[in-house]
Amino acid sequence: MTALDSINDLTPLAMSQFQTQLAARSDALHIEAVDFAYANGHTVFSNLNLRARQGEFVAILGPSGCGKTTLLNLLSGFQKPQAGRLLVDGQPTRPELPALGYVFQSPQLFPWLSALENVRFGLRVAGDKNTVQQYEHAMHYLRLVGLENAAQRLPRQLSGGMQQRVALARTLALEPQVLLMDEPFAALDAISRNSMNEETLRLWAALGQTVLFITHDIDEAVFLADRVVVLNIAPGGIHSELAIDLPRPRTNRETRRLPAFLDYRNELMERIGDVMAQSSSLLEPTFG
Amino acid sequence: MHLPKANWGWASLPFLLLVWVALASRFPSYVLPQPWVVAAEALRWIEDGSLWKQFRASVLEELAGFFSAVVVAVVLGGLAGLWRHFRDFISPLNSLFMAIPPIAWAPLILIIFGFGFFSITLVIFIAAVFPMAVTIQEGVLGIREGEVRAARTLGANRWQLLGLVYLPASLPFLTAALRIGFSQGWRALVAAEMIGASQGIGWMVSMGGQIGNSSQVLLGIVLIGLLAWLMESLVFRRIERHYQSWRAA
Repeated sequence: MTALDSINDLTPLAMSQFQTQLAARSDALHIEAVDFAYANGHTVFSNLNLRARQGEFVAILGPSGCGKTTLLNLLSGFQKPQAGRLLVDGQPTRPELPALGYVFQSPQLFPWLSALENVRFGLRVAGDKNTVQQYEHAMHYLRLVGLENAAQRLPRQLSGGMQQRVALARTLALEPQVLLMDEPFAALDAISRNSMNEETLRLWAALGQTVLFITHDIDEAVFLADRVVVLNIAPGGIHSELAIDLPRPRTNRETRRLPAFLDYRNELMERIGDVMAQSSSLLEPTFG
Repeated sequence: MHLPKANWGWASLPFLLLVWVALASRFPSYVLPQPWVVAAEALRWIEDGSLWKQFRASVLEELAGFFSAVVVAVVLGGLAGLWRHFRDFISPLNSLFMAIPPIAWAPLILIIFGFGFFSITLVIFIAAVFPMAVTIQEGVLGIREGEVRAARTLGANRWQLLGLVYLPASLPFLTAALRIGFSQGWRALVAAEMIGASQGIGWMVSMGGQIGNSSQVLLGIVLIGLLAWLMESLVFRRIERHYQSWRAA
């Protein structure tokens, strides 16, 4: 607290510089006092603050309409906030930032490229490896997601789960420090989703990025994250946070049966219920 | 073993010939000649080398008009697809020019530029460029925003987006545009040659009509259809099928 007090004594400029340095050192992801409203005046966030430590797995949980998509658009720099800052690895965010990886809700593979060529795409545009190295590197990541045998197939020849694995490999191949994942397994059936969750943790343990994982699935959030951030329905921002202190490595067979897992789950269900109750009380006057 | 499904497409051409023969038997040969009379006419034209001359004249005009239209349509359609303000500006012009049959321009063009290669080529250009530009524009608009976003987060810059995403993603629409442009151009060419040319297949048809040579008219019609059909099935359909395969699922 004393450190914070002394920060307040600094000039605004010096303060922001200081905070930038601080963020660069300690936070992989830093959302600071972000305001965002659409052109029609619909406010999504006001004074949103969120940080993620280097290597932290943060799940963002919220019902639909809570501004998850907007949050991701802001974090990836596809949309600009009216106020505040978004730093990824200490730098102002933009879509092309190499420190930032983005796994989309649907795979968004390039349908004219094979699985291997899809994974190579980022390496190819970066151009800092020769072609042979690019292929070796891409193959390595395709192997990591267990698809070395599907390297030559086109996206349409792969199942939905396999396509999302290719998309994951494509993003991971660029070795971003921060990974944004937008409900990447929402379209999969429950069995595939659980196995992809395990897979995600395995890759995360091996590669150690900071992950911001957006989901509306409470079990998924508890299973994956170090910390779950519950969003309010817009406008609102963050409702609350919950640290998930479950042992790692986590597996579907064991973790999901732990009493603590169920406790976290119930707690989050409670909070989501609270969010929904608040939003319906907000809506009532319009109907009345 | 699966037998291939019966395709009755093979029967359509023989059927047409039968109808032709049946109809022609009701008329004197100088009004509606039989197919073999037209074939004999074709042989005469081939032997004295004048068929090749007409054919070459038409194809050269078609290719010149078509290729210049492709270049302009790619630029117009591409810009309109990528840039909303330009699309807003160009859309009314596109609709206007597409509503006017291209052959309506022919008399004016002939007055300004006179008879000859350039005028015919210009009519073909006008006929082909607008439908192609619209098709390309729709294609570029149809490129999924998600693919573009994915490419950007993978680090692609403006030019890499253009070459590695927009171009390959628009190839299926580009090939469809080529097919449409070629056939529109070909129709316009025949009509334009009938109005103002001294050679070409269209001229051959209209000349045949004026001198009362039905065989010559029918020979021209067969040639017009044959070339369009060959280009369609041997060139454009194949390219299109190739590029559409990965869009299928």
